[in-house]
Amino acid sequence: MIPKDARDYQILFLSLFLFLGVYNRDWTLRPDFMLVVFASCLGTQWGISVIRHGMHDWWTGVRDRFSPLAGVSPTSPLTDPSTPSPLNLRSAVITSLGLCLLLRADHYSTMAIAGCLAISSKFLFQVRGKHFFNPANFGIIAVLLLTHDAWVSPGQWGEEGWYGLLFVGAGGLVLQRVGRWDTTAAFLGSYAVLEAIRNVWLGWTWDVFGHRLMSGSLLLFALFMMTDPRSIPNARASRIIWAVAIAGLTFTLRNYFFLSTAVLWALFALAPLSLLLDYLWSAPQFSWLSGAGITESEADERTSTLQSATLQSTRVYFSNPELSPVYEELP
Amino acid sequence: MKFLRGLFIVLLALVVTIVPMSPAWAFCGFYVGKADSKLYNKASQVAIARSGNRTVLTMANDYQGDAKDFALVVPVPVLLKENQVKVGDPKIMQRLDDFSAPRLVEYFDENPCNQNVYEKMPIPASSAPSASSGNTRRRDSSLGVTIEAKFTVGEYDILILSAKESGGLETWLTQNGYRIPAGAKQLLQPYIRQKMKFFVAKVNLKELAKSDYKSLRPLMMAYESPKFMLPIRLGMVNAQSEQDLIVYILSPRGQVEVANYRTVKIPSDAEVPLYIKGEFSNFYKSMFKTSYNREGRKVAFLEYAWDMSSCDPCSAEPLNPEELKKAGVFWLNQPNSNPYGNGVFITRLHVRYTRDKFPEDLVFQETANRQQFQGRYVLRHPYTGDASCREARDYRNSLPQKVEKQSQTLARLTGWNIQDIRKKSFVNLPQSEPWWRRIFPF
Repeated sequence: MIPKDARDYQILFLSLFLFLGVYNRDWTLRPDFMLVVFASCLGTQWGISVIRHGMHDWWTGVRDRFSPLAGVSPTSPLTDPSTPSPLNLRSAVITSLGLCLLLRADHYSTMAIAGCLAISSKFLFQVRGKHFFNPANFGIIAVLLLTHDAWVSPGQWGEEGWYGLLFVGAGGLVLQRVGRWDTTAAFLGSYAVLEAIRNVWLGWTWDVFGHRLMSGSLLLFALFMMTDPRSIPNARASRIIWAVAIAGLTFTLRNYFFLSTAVLWALFALAPLSLLLDYLWSAPQFSWLSGAGITESEADERTSTLQSATLQSTRVYFSNPELSPVYEELP
Repeated sequence: MKFLRGLFIVLLALVVTIVPMSPAWAFCGFYVGKADSKLYNKASQVAIARSGNRTVLTMANDYQGDAKDFALVVPVPVLLKENQVKVGDPKIMQRLDDFSAPRLVEYFDENPCNQNVYEKMPIPASSAPSASSGNTRRRDSSLGVTIEAKFTVGEYDILILSAKESGGLETWLTQNGYRIPAGAKQLLQPYIRQKMKFFVAKVNLKELAKSDYKSLRPLMMAYESPKFMLPIRLGMVNAQSEQDLIVYILSPRGQVEVANYRTVKIPSDAEVPLYIKGEFSNFYKSMFKTSYNREGRKVAFLEYAWDMSSCDPCSAEPLNPEELKKAGVFWLNQPNSNPYGNGVFITRLHVRYTRDKFPEDLVFQETANRQQFQGRYVLRHPYTGDASCREARDYRNSLPQKVEKQSQTLARLTGWNIQDIRKKSFVNLPQSEPWWRRIFPF
């Protein structure tokens, strides 16, 4: 059976990488730390969903009681889960796997904070129903900044060819399903060009260039983190500009600020840019269930306010037939 | 909207490609002989004490040739002044080595009729070999080489050179009597392009004769640079085969790992047959080689990671504050200078590198990882005294199995022939119980 949701593939592949990493790559990650990450991500996701539904029910109650027009007024994304869809755990699992693959820490508390902040960022930093930070990336950068005991090991995957092929193959499958291969191609292409120019200018042999680009961590990032279709720009043109900008910043941070985790910082710094790009190049927002570019609301992943308001009013119309004359007069 | 989009792209391009030029680099150089002697730097030891961007680097090479032929060229991140360079104490490298070396430990089985408590007895492990002035500013305009500084430190004459192009630097070095290995020219260029200086050291024979030291002492440099790396590429110019580099990194925070290659823990805590006691260094060499090949010859091995205030078991006493200072630790007794505390965490990395598998210089990264690790190998002596209880019988019967397991571990770790190992392991094993004891008990 072929999974409908591309996230199932993503979960499958990330789990495979995690398994390979722990058993084959001599990592420092311990199973108990993984449990903490999963518990904190899933717990936060669940907690916020419950609170949002609670708030929504309360708000509906207040609105119906005091205002006959309440159903049409724009609602805040925090108080407006339009339909009680099943708890969205796939996204939280992907975030947990991302954190397990990349983040290392000395204490449980740091891993727990990373998980909580990663998931919370989806709800806190959203504009028009779209969160703009990649949750795992946000969690990692947050604990790197806020705690003293977190780190990322960029060298842990080595530069072996077959890992590269595995990543590209698996990533390609996911990307084909979500239609975001352009982002990866633009990122890797422009980063490779920048590194090649530097290589030629410095006079290094080409194996230095190859070694820098074959880094397993870089490929993992390019194929699985920066392609998250929910948080990256919607239009193809803006995605390409965005990916090229991240490549440029990564190159600068790595070669001139000597940050070995440059890609993560670059993605974090330029994540808010996707809002501006969405404003400049409008395109329908991505939805996991229906494929690219078709809107559909989920409990925590809201579509645009306009569309949700329409759905909302329709639902209220049917559930409150006595108010129908009022609605019918509205545009 | 189109105008806005265009403007946006231009602005973005400007923002992400602002390239601040802050030249910085660290070292590890190559030998250049002044005569036709064969010089290979096959094993080097480097100690790096680093907190923030401040670095104190100590280099010791196991140079075996005649002192008058010794010369060292190392790319340096900044222009070093005389008071930033010093000769180190060779004993300190030895101390760091002894303290962090992979170790063999012995356990003695108790009388199985008594309680099963093991006594621990560490054995010191093997160790590897260690190893007035005035500023002048001359310019050789035709070659583009500038002598930025010239001074004598201990038994070394030091030159700090800057160059405009690699051909000029190569010519200058050749003209001044340094024998440059073939192929060095191409390798000098990347460092020159990054506006790095070159630290050139050769031995001042008069000073060496005056000093009490028979061998060359390590060179120490203090500098401030955001870059945390060792340029090993230059070191591969005149080396024919694989070279060993042992790096001791002292940090107030935690473990240091290699950011652009994998860092792998050396196999540890393995129980090996007793005869290894007599040939521990052979065992370790073979085991290292096997692990190195198994990992595709392209990883850095972690041999030791420990908070320097303690050790368990100790292969040498921890370094006292005075010794730590001599090793370059500059953050001791400085309250509030460091958010991670004022301790010292040591990481010992062993890199065996070749030109084909290590194309890039080593880049290090400090982490908050305070998990302690040591390369530790265990000998377990069986109980040989009199014992006549039922447990003693079971114990004796279990011994051959234990020895077999140890032999297999040893064969797996070293790649040695299992039959040869068995021949040596099963000697001196206390007689196991005859089979008829199972039915004719005591």
